[in-house]
Amino acid sequence: MKSSKIKKIFLILGILSLAVVFTGCGKKTSASSVKHITYWHVNAQTQGGATVDELVKKFNSTHKNIKVTAKYNPDMYKGLMQNLQSAQASGKVPDVVQVGWAYDNYFASNFKYLTPTDAAKNFDGNSKFIDSSFTKKTLSFAKDSNGKLVGLPYSLSTPVLFINKDILNKYGVQENSLTTWEGVKEASKRIYDQSGKYGLYIQEPGDTWAQQAIMLSNGAKIQKNGKADFASSNGVNAYKYYQEMVSEKLALHTPWAQGIDSFVKGDVAMAFTTIAQASHIKESASFNAAAIVAPHFKEYKTVVPVGGSMLAITAQDSEQQKAAWKFEKWMYSAESAVTWSKGTGYLPATQAALKSNDFKDYTNANPMLKPAVKTLDNAVPWTSFPKKGLQAEQTMIDARDKILSGSDISSTLKAAQDKINAQQE
Amino acid sequence: MFDKGKINYWHLLLILVVLIAILPILFMVSNSFKTLRDSYNTMLSLIPLRPTLNNYLMLNRQVNLLTLTWNTFLMAAIVTIGKLLTGLLTAYAFRSYRFKGKMFVYLIFVSTIFVPFTIIMIPNYLVIAKLNLLNNVLGVALPQLCDATGIMIFLKTMEKIPNTLIDAAKVDNIPNRKIFFNIVIPILKPSIVSVGAIFFINSWNEYVWPTLILKDKASFTLPLALQNYISSEGGTNFPLAMALSTIMVILPLIIYLIFQKYILNSISTSGLK
Amino acid sequence: MHNKNKRILPFLYLLPTAILLLVFMIIPIIYTFYLSFFDWNLIAPTKEFVGFKNYIDVFIDPINQKVILNTIIYIVFLIILNFLIPYFISLIVKFFINKMQKTYKILFFIPSLFSLVVGAMIFTWMLNPVSGPIAFILKNIGISMPNWSNSGILAITVICFITNWKVFGYNFILLLTGLGSIPQNIIDAAKIDRIPKWRLIFNVVLPMNRGISVYVLILTIVQGLQYVFTPINVITTGGPYYGSSNMIYQTYLNAFVLYKTGTSSALAIVTFIIFLILLFIEIRFVEGRSDKYV
Repeated sequence: MKSSKIKKIFLILGILSLAVVFTGCGKKTSASSVKHITYWHVNAQTQGGATVDELVKKFNSTHKNIKVTAKYNPDMYKGLMQNLQSAQASGKVPDVVQVGWAYDNYFASNFKYLTPTDAAKNFDGNSKFIDSSFTKKTLSFAKDSNGKLVGLPYSLSTPVLFINKDILNKYGVQENSLTTWEGVKEASKRIYDQSGKYGLYIQEPGDTWAQQAIMLSNGAKIQKNGKADFASSNGVNAYKYYQEMVSEKLALHTPWAQGIDSFVKGDVAMAFTTIAQASHIKESASFNAAAIVAPHFKEYKTVVPVGGSMLAITAQDSEQQKAAWKFEKWMYSAESAVTWSKGTGYLPATQAALKSNDFKDYTNANPMLKPAVKTLDNAVPWTSFPKKGLQAEQTMIDARDKILSGSDISSTLKAAQDKINAQQE
Repeated sequence: MFDKGKINYWHLLLILVVLIAILPILFMVSNSFKTLRDSYNTMLSLIPLRPTLNNYLMLNRQVNLLTLTWNTFLMAAIVTIGKLLTGLLTAYAFRSYRFKGKMFVYLIFVSTIFVPFTIIMIPNYLVIAKLNLLNNVLGVALPQLCDATGIMIFLKTMEKIPNTLIDAAKVDNIPNRKIFFNIVIPILKPSIVSVGAIFFINSWNEYVWPTLILKDKASFTLPLALQNYISSEGGTNFPLAMALSTIMVILPLIIYLIFQKYILNSISTSGLK
Repeated sequence: MHNKNKRILPFLYLLPTAILLLVFMIIPIIYTFYLSFFDWNLIAPTKEFVGFKNYIDVFIDPINQKVILNTIIYIVFLIILNFLIPYFISLIVKFFINKMQKTYKILFFIPSLFSLVVGAMIFTWMLNPVSGPIAFILKNIGISMPNWSNSGILAITVICFITNWKVFGYNFILLLTGLGSIPQNIIDAAKIDRIPKWRLIFNVVLPMNRGISVYVLILTIVQGLQYVFTPINVITTGGPYYGSSNMIYQTYLNAFVLYKTGTSSALAIVTFIIFLILLFIEIRFVEGRSDKYV
């Protein structure tokens, strides 16, 4: 009797699993005149993911013949590239993708895409949209090493120095002394000597964006004529500053999430990180937090690599491309761009959005954004090596980690530079 | 067993082990009821100063908890059923038949326990894509089915069934199907339940295959949704992540509490000796 | 008729498993083996044949050498944390206490219900060397916590500890059950002979429990090396400078971050060979009945 019960259970389980198989396979694609396009982005829920969904919903409700599906890709631009790579291997690519600047050349040389220049020519008949929306400088961020426009700049970010005003006031640090890295070091020393707290944290994610900013602000070049050139004396000195800060316990050396946690907790006085962290810091810090323009070394100007992303069209079919282009243009409208910016903490890329009253109101309510907008004037494209760009970035990360654990700076940077240049042959 | 009447200091050590095991969980639950600020400011207090349900409400607004849970459940259920069925059938074949190459086949099956996922990661992705099963619960379940743990455990349990019992049934010309269902399965019931529970819990928490196969938010499982909240670029929202983690463990915990006796006593007694 | 049935039936029973293994395991392994001789980036239309270059790289490249060394460190730590400690605790629970055994069992097992992603998140928060609760308590008693994420060996310790948190209960119960299966009369006899408890354990209990302990030991290594993948990925991404990477993580890094499928595949094959050696040991000691199925 007992066994018949078990038999029944097996039967039910079997039927259940069969049912699952059939429902799984039975997904149909509705064939109608509605164009379905997929949009791949990197915005996690903590970073405006909800805003992206909201925008897409709005687009779908106002465009009856296009249906956009937004797809979140974990692990930022690196994760998106990986997924795109896998998607290409499987033969199913999305239509619009968000590409980080560092992947500019890599994307251009490995994937099939429609340049915005061609999209405008094919579907608008003129390039008015591109010319009127972006400055020349902003457009230059989205060009590959051959000078070809790969996508349209979508979001911009710059590193800023977040400060804990309570700590600075307590230990008598003047805010205006923090415009130079030398000043930051002095302030850190003062804070460390009196409180034992760290003065500074410099972000250490899976790229060397912030470190490049420090080198650039010491007059160094990351690349020259497509070759790595950061092992110059200016580059070495910038890293020397960083290494000393860490070895003298003035700067905290730890992975990104933990470093930001320590700043928010009030254990570190200053954090050099992307403006995208602004809303997180605002929401979680219980001290008086502010942001100031990225420091530079004495005798040099602030120069930072721009962060953020562009949108590129990977749709293959002309009708799909047309729909994708329409969607892109809608996303670049001042209204959508500012909405997106509010949700994600990035700066919008179009002139119309940056100058809109809506955005001005927003920066007035969130003054942390102001130094970031100001820094845009000093931004240069993020270095993207023409060949084996991912491996080049990894080489620079490796060099950073080696130096921070005490390796000799000039030989480490030289070795990294040679390794990258050997791959550019 | 040995010392009677004395105070047993070993308990202090064991209580320390319990603390190490349980304290992180208490921190998880307590943080899920804290505001973002309080999670930084009142780190040490296990009872939230200003308890809030906000993290859960926000979570409910930001992700579709029902879909996430259903996706995870479906995947874990398919994996569990699949592994139990294949495990039982295979173990039964090894137990009750003699055939050429049995040892060889057995070795191949068992050796799959020793295959690191990294070696099959790339080809499997390509196969699932070819089968058009990306973003599909089957696509993420199939590679997980290749696991011989069930076969090994069931085989070891079946070996304890006296030969005479099965031989007697065979002499009586009882069909194999009946021997399987009426004799073998009932004897194995405790280990089926406990192995099933373990399979389910492990698959529920599976991270690697869903990461590779599920790219569409609509097909995400709970561990993947957690990735939403550990994106470093926008800052980690720890209390929110802890709220999701708490939700994630509810079902495994229920299963554990229901089958606790089986899991703790029979998985090992019946399976591994 | 019956005879014919008898010959086909076992294969029918084996068929589902066989198909699954063939499609999702055996063919993929062969394909990975094939890829290990080529230079490829997963999407380029052509693969460049490079012979044994990828394998030579695995052993010559200083980063890979470091990673291989780390893998050995991982194995040692995993054995201590996930095997020796649970074994020690299970001996205590079995032989040195006579109350609360069941309660301990129930409580020890609870962390096994959690995902390693969750474990990794909670522990990075708890162990934040500057701002975590533990650092805070230590600071108040005057100890400064080392910044573990900057030291390969400490990062490995923390990562192993996180997996220990998850698998401790499971291994503990397996080992405890092994101990439970030792016939009571042997233990009682020793008791009557007044043999000291630790000698009884070393001379009688441990040898008798050898089968299951070798099984748990090897599982600890094989599964442990794969389990640590998640915390590495969530916490250190292999850093500082590959200090906490192991062969499994390096394989993933090469495949899905750097797109060097050749190096990745070669690393995977080498890992597999190491695992196979462990498998051989497992069969010798645990199955211990290789003659049975011939």
